[in-house]
Amino acid sequence: MAELDGKRALVTGGAQGLGKAITSLFVARGAKVVIADIDEAGAKLTADELGESVRAVRCDVTQSSDLEAAVQTTVDTFGGLDIMVNNAGIEIVKPLFHQTEEEFSRLMDINVKGVFLGMRAALAALPQPGGVIVNMASLAGLGGAPLFGSYCASKAGVVQLTRVAAVEMRPTGIRINAVCPAFIATAMVDRLKPIVTEVVGVPFDDLAALKQGRIGTPEEVAEMVAFLASDDASFCTGGTYVLDGGLQAAML
Amino acid sequence: MAGLLEGKIAIVTGAAKGIGRAIAEAYATQGATVVVSDIDEGMAKETASRIPGASAIACDVRSEEQVKSLVDQTVAQHGGLQIMVPNAGIGRPVPLLGMDYDEWRAVTSVNLDGVFLCVRYGAPAIIASGGGAIVNVCSITAQAGTPLIAHYSAAKAGVMSLTQSAAVELRAQGVRVNAILPGFIETEMVTSVKGDFERLLGFPDGQFDQVIAMKQGRYGTPEEVAKMAVFLASDRSSFSNGSPFVLDGGCRASLL
Repeated sequence: MAELDGKRALVTGGAQGLGKAITSLFVARGAKVVIADIDEAGAKLTADELGESVRAVRCDVTQSSDLEAAVQTTVDTFGGLDIMVNNAGIEIVKPLFHQTEEEFSRLMDINVKGVFLGMRAALAALPQPGGVIVNMASLAGLGGAPLFGSYCASKAGVVQLTRVAAVEMRPTGIRINAVCPAFIATAMVDRLKPIVTEVVGVPFDDLAALKQGRIGTPEEVAEMVAFLASDDASFCTGGTYVLDGGLQAAML
Repeated sequence: MAGLLEGKIAIVTGAAKGIGRAIAEAYATQGATVVVSDIDEGMAKETASRIPGASAIACDVRSEEQVKSLVDQTVAQHGGLQIMVPNAGIGRPVPLLGMDYDEWRAVTSVNLDGVFLCVRYGAPAIIASGGGAIVNVCSITAQAGTPLIAHYSAAKAGVMSLTQSAAVELRAQGVRVNAILPGFIETEMVTSVKGDFERLLGFPDGQFDQVIAMKQGRYGTPEEVAKMAVFLASDRSSFSNGSPFVLDGGCRASLL
């Protein structure tokens, strides 16, 4: 199940966190992966750590030329591109109207335009049929959350881009889906913990335990991505797949 | 490679044919011991006989006694229960204003009450076995209005809501509850009612297939649903709980 033998993948934001876990699991399932990250040194470290099946390139997802180059590197290095994972993203955690116009624009550029450009660059190389795109959205793309105003808006943007791209590309046999995790144990969550704790007045870990049972792991998100990237998910396209321990299901 | 469900005991209701049978087969392939349950005992036995390690237990999911007995027999025979798949369901097109109360109850008693009974009596056995997963076979009709199957759609919406409540309530006891929402899948249930849909909607022959092609690209297969059912029953989905897992070729993604 969910084996990725011989698949060639490109993972943006793959140097750390979810992207690293996805890369690691993809390799364990038999794929070769190019990590595209704005942190070139971090990407190289991760690639070295994960072995011969992983390469690293510097990539700013707000630049279409960077994404096109990353796709080309994947094709040149591994002979093709089968799976594109648009995972790179940033967060702002502060009351909506305390966010500056510049912060808002930068976040939208990375989180939304980055996914648009990533999909567009990948579509030039993905096989038809058989190519797969997995976009990292968030539970924040399906519901509002205080302090995450621009982040929620951007992830809702990713969800909608996923839906439209999936339906438009369906005749080509390329599948496009979005993954929507709640709070996962990553550096991003470590950064936002003290802010949420201070503003909400409840220790973050208690809040997470109450709402989602516990904090999820990057490996759990990677499993969902690997499933969607595999042929096992052949009838899934345009979907939003939630991992939240039950947060969204609960009224309270 | 070891199976994803090695050592697990699973009950699949409505497993004699269609999606249920495909799930039972996929679970067995992944190493689970499967109880093939169906209201049709003969067909359940026939299906079980073709699946390695599987056994058959007849069950009408509308009967509280029979669902209790299904769970009790499974635990007695196999020593526990880790996976419950309430899949049994029926459906047929009937115009809303021509739908009598008996028809409404016939469909909702299987498709919603039956799922409640499987969750109600399956979950305690799963908890007693150290935890596991319930995978409700729901439908995308839970999320949108569907002409001629108001009863079916309402029941499926009820299943989605039950999935959410059960997921939250049972989380602390180690039971994950999720729902699969397939679009139109190539099964006898669907192919047998195509003509009725066309007639009742005033469509020319063959238009049902055209609508499906437009909305979801093609029909899905029972095997595709089964792969999602394996994922949701396995530890690979350990952080998913109370969520809808849509499998519809993009149908729900588009407004048009």
